[in-house]
Amino acid sequence: MAVQSMTTKRQPSRWEKFWNTASIVFESRVATVGMSIVLFWVLVAFISLFWTPYDPNASNFTQNLGPNTTNLLGTDHLGRDILSRLMQGTQVILLKTRLPGSDISIPGGVAIWGVLGSLSLGTLLGLNAGYRGGWWDQIIMQVLDALIAFPRIVLYLVVIAALGQGDLVVILAITITGAPGVARLVRSLALDIKTRDYIRAAETRGESVWYIMFREILPNARGPLLVDGMLRVGYAIFAIGTLGFLGIGLPPPDPDWGNMVNEARRNIFANQLAVIWPAVAIASLVIGLNLFADGLREELTRYQK
Amino acid sequence: MARFIIRSIISTIITMLLVSIALFFLIEVGSGDISVKILGVFATPEQRASYRAQLGLDAPAWQRYVDWLIGNDWRAERKVGYPLVTATNPQTGEQGWWADVDGQLTRWKMEEGQLLTLKRQDDGSSTAHLSSGGWEVNEEGQEVFWGVDTKNNAVQWMRGEGAEVWVLTKAGLRKEGDGPQVYIPLRKGLLRGDPGISLQFGRPVAVTLVPRIRNTLVLAGVAFTIIMPLALFLGILAGINEGKPLDRIISITSLGFTATPEFVTGIFLIIIFGIWLKVLPAVAIFTSPNAIFEDPTLLALPVLTLTAVELGYVARMTRASMVEVMDSPYIRTAIIKGMPKWRVVTKHAIRNALMAPITIIMLHVNWLIGGLVVVEVIFGYPGLGYYIYRSAIFGDYNAIEAAAMVTVAIAILTRLIGDLAYTLLNPRIRYA
Repeated sequence: MAVQSMTTKRQPSRWEKFWNTASIVFESRVATVGMSIVLFWVLVAFISLFWTPYDPNASNFTQNLGPNTTNLLGTDHLGRDILSRLMQGTQVILLKTRLPGSDISIPGGVAIWGVLGSLSLGTLLGLNAGYRGGWWDQIIMQVLDALIAFPRIVLYLVVIAALGQGDLVVILAITITGAPGVARLVRSLALDIKTRDYIRAAETRGESVWYIMFREILPNARGPLLVDGMLRVGYAIFAIGTLGFLGIGLPPPDPDWGNMVNEARRNIFANQLAVIWPAVAIASLVIGLNLFADGLREELTRYQK
Repeated sequence: MARFIIRSIISTIITMLLVSIALFFLIEVGSGDISVKILGVFATPEQRASYRAQLGLDAPAWQRYVDWLIGNDWRAERKVGYPLVTATNPQTGEQGWWADVDGQLTRWKMEEGQLLTLKRQDDGSSTAHLSSGGWEVNEEGQEVFWGVDTKNNAVQWMRGEGAEVWVLTKAGLRKEGDGPQVYIPLRKGLLRGDPGISLQFGRPVAVTLVPRIRNTLVLAGVAFTIIMPLALFLGILAGINEGKPLDRIISITSLGFTATPEFVTGIFLIIIFGIWLKVLPAVAIFTSPNAIFEDPTLLALPVLTLTAVELGYVARMTRASMVEVMDSPYIRTAIIKGMPKWRVVTKHAIRNALMAPITIIMLHVNWLIGGLVVVEVIFGYPGLGYYIYRSAIFGDYNAIEAAAMVTVAIAILTRLIGDLAYTLLNPRIRYA
């Protein structure tokens, strides 16, 4: 009987469930606009994997050309096509991470891995501090306080001065600077969740500490974590752009937006557009992610009030 | 209350100590051989080893950490046997180290196997005499002598060994005989105001750092006095009109400005005001140390960039806090009892709404420092941020460590002040 009633009442499929959750984005105009901007750049990134108008690193044209029919966005100070470079520049941020000493790239851009790194490290520290409390909490928070005290850029500069340039170093730098913030968030969520009855139940069952932290607390903290992660992708792209601008970001040969601004800046009196395009690209992507996360947070918290 | 303050202060001290350890060992472990940067790639291993010894880099890391933090003159004093003191060199205005031998400031120098005593005169010059005695015999039967050399090191000479050392001069490396065997580069340590010698400038870090901190403080101070009233005003305005078009405009614009990286904003301002309109200088070129006071337009674009980036953040915080306060029951009561809205806002809402932003502003100072680094690099403004950047690129460890510690100290102290101010302002915490 029970089986029959289960089958007659159709369970929503996975896709429908996902769609119901995801459609919250369209409730907010801000989030929709943000998501469109982000999706535009993701699309550009995938297209650039297979096609760019010209070779992004070849100096085929006259230097510092303005926009024209062959080079839609003009050329830079070495006669490279800016549109191709802009398109290819999305890859290192969003799609691939180059491993040092080889031509192999792993999928997932520097910004994505950096955020995943800080989310994992931050979650680990935050759960331990929040759930175990006591000395764990004291020591972890003291160390995190020390990390937070570093102005971000100074920490980046120190890490890169110490370890040299490279995709992995940038990922590490983003992980270290992001983790304290995530840890604080997770800690406050864990402090709240650990007072619930189902945690008491799990403790009574005799579950291990790790089981409770990762199977009971973490899944219930994922909403705020997701929004925070989205914002962090924005920060990470912001940081990668800034590092590129300072000339210590992602190494060549792949074009990097921040570095494009930095190089074109030397010819700023002759050719302003070569500076403007990559600058607009970074700003639009970061603003898009911020709008998206902001709108999403507004929608999510609206029902909690 | 007193307990809370003591707790915060102790926690701050521990944090500073942790930061200093992390900073020192990160640079220690990570940074490559500094001698490659300074001597170039063609120097031989002996030259490198000799140079590293002169910088004191052959000592173990923990020893150098202690030296860096609290100095090593007290350690060298025991070896030399005389009190070590600093005296100003009248030509450069910088401090030099001397041994105080019975009231006479003295250094030593080895020339052709002879040990010379240099006695300091009142005008800063010194007279050389052949020194008599002072040699001691160590366990291996060698004759050794500890003294202060002319380059501010405590050194150990060994009679008859005639060690060859490579000395860096303006013309390159020069080989010298009769060199010391062991070097201790004398320093007072960070806590006593001497973070060592800057390797890229060859001058004490403290001397090169102070004018830059001053320049940065001027820049940040001007920016802060513009940002704060404006941001608070816009935030309150947006908060009162929650959901109306005015609020939308202020919120979206400030989000846009906050999310735009500093260098993008800076570049756009340079293009607009420096290149197209030609009304403001696009770079901050300092023709004299006091250039910012003689020509304040140098500050215009850097300040504008900082304002654009920081304004949005503070305005958003103020707005959020204002919205929360305007929702609260006591404001509703005030409105219902017929009080004019502007009086409700000025008398009841603002005081409570400003509490959160003010503490957040204090926490935000290290974000402001990050912005300063980028802004100073864009405009070539000779401040603390540009100094850190240049030192990091060069690998000038003494300079990075000192400058980074200054920024961390500023960030932590403002946070402490923020915490204390919040406790004082908020009775619920004060009496808890």
